Amino acid sequence: MIWEVFRQEKPGEYHTHCGNVHAPDAEMAKLFAEVQHGRRKPTNSLWVVPQREVAEVDAEEATFGGSTDKSYRWAMTYNRVDESFAEEVADSQREQETADREREEVTSGGSA
Amino acid sequence: MSAIDHLSGPADLEEDERQAVETLLYRLADDEFVLAERYTEWQVRSPTLESDLALSNIAQDELGHARLWYDLLEDFGYEEADLIWERDPADFRHATLVELPFEGGDWADAIVRSYLYDEAEHLRLEALEESSYPRIVDRVGKVQAEERYHREHATNWLERLAETDEGRARLQTALDRVFPHALTLFEAVDPDVERRIDEYGIRTRSLEDMGEQWLETVVPFLESLGLEVPLSSDRTVTAEDLPSHVGRDGSHTDDWFDLHDDFTHTYRELGRDSADRIMPDPDDQ
Repeated sequence: MIWEVFRQEKPGEYHTHCGNVHAPDAEMAKLFAEVQHGRRKPTNSLWVVPQREVAEVDAEEATFGGSTDKSYRWAMTYNRVDESFAEEVADSQREQETADREREEVTSGGSA
Repeated sequence: MSAIDHLSGPADLEEDERQAVETLLYRLADDEFVLAERYTEWQVRSPTLESDLALSNIAQDELGHARLWYDLLEDFGYEEADLIWERDPADFRHATLVELPFEGGDWADAIVRSYLYDEAEHLRLEALEESSYPRIVDRVGKVQAEERYHREHATNWLERLAETDEGRARLQTALDRVFPHALTLFEAVDPDVERRIDEYGIRTRSLEDMGEQWLETVVPFLESLGLEVPLSSDRTVTAEDLPSHVGRDGSHTDDWFDLHDDFTHTYRELGRDSADRIMPDPDDQ
């Protein structure tokens, strides 16, 4: 049975997928993952997840984000607000802009 | 604090003290080095990629531990070539458990052997935590940090192999074969020197004491898996339980001399008289 392995480098960070291991159960999967995926890169924690428990939805069956214009989601109207009063707003603004840019890249890439 | 006075550094030991420290270090270093040599034979041959990486990784740990202990012997003026590559194989002091070849690629043997070894290793490292020799104390923690994995690895495999009749039968065959050799882990290099190791507090538990505790741990566990431990009487070791070669005293099986010949082959073929260092000294890390 295959276990997908997720590695977290530092406390508080996300666990990100880094590969898998073959093991009969969770205990052995952890033991194998510790060596296979944790021995060379900085590792704070590993998750092992049975591959068969991973459910997937992909771009073939879903239209991620919908197909009509929903640019209001990106809250770009806040562009005109002086956000310096709160750091979180500035962070959020930057995040929205990045997401918007990435979304445009995906869209233009997809229509080519 | 312990009642025992702390020994001084390597340069200031009395002759008797130095012999005791050296003997203890040879026991530790030779066991780890030779076991790692044998484990390495599994590389690219283990049952699965995962088990291959796990055992190879354990072998690398053991080599690292051997390096820490041999390095303390270098305090007394020896060089790596004296300690490993040019040393007379009859002078090695490891237990015969670690020198035996694996019977026909028997994975059960690798697992049984590492279980028996790592439980003993656990006890002897504990007995060094408060050693009177500060150079040893400094390094024990580093070794112990890697040993947890080894014990968990062996125990987990044992429990799973014992779940089927075939697996259990293979474990039993391996146990019958290697158990007498595991007993040699607690044998003396030289009874007088071993007594002094205890007396000077270099080790805080005697071999007999650790041997008993080890039996109290491994016998019930192996029995709980449905295995029979090959001991003539219940939980006491007699001379008839021991193999004809015990390793510690310099008596070894023929397999050891073959293995020694193998791992020193390249050194001799290249006409070397010293070993290259590719890593900094453990004291500088």
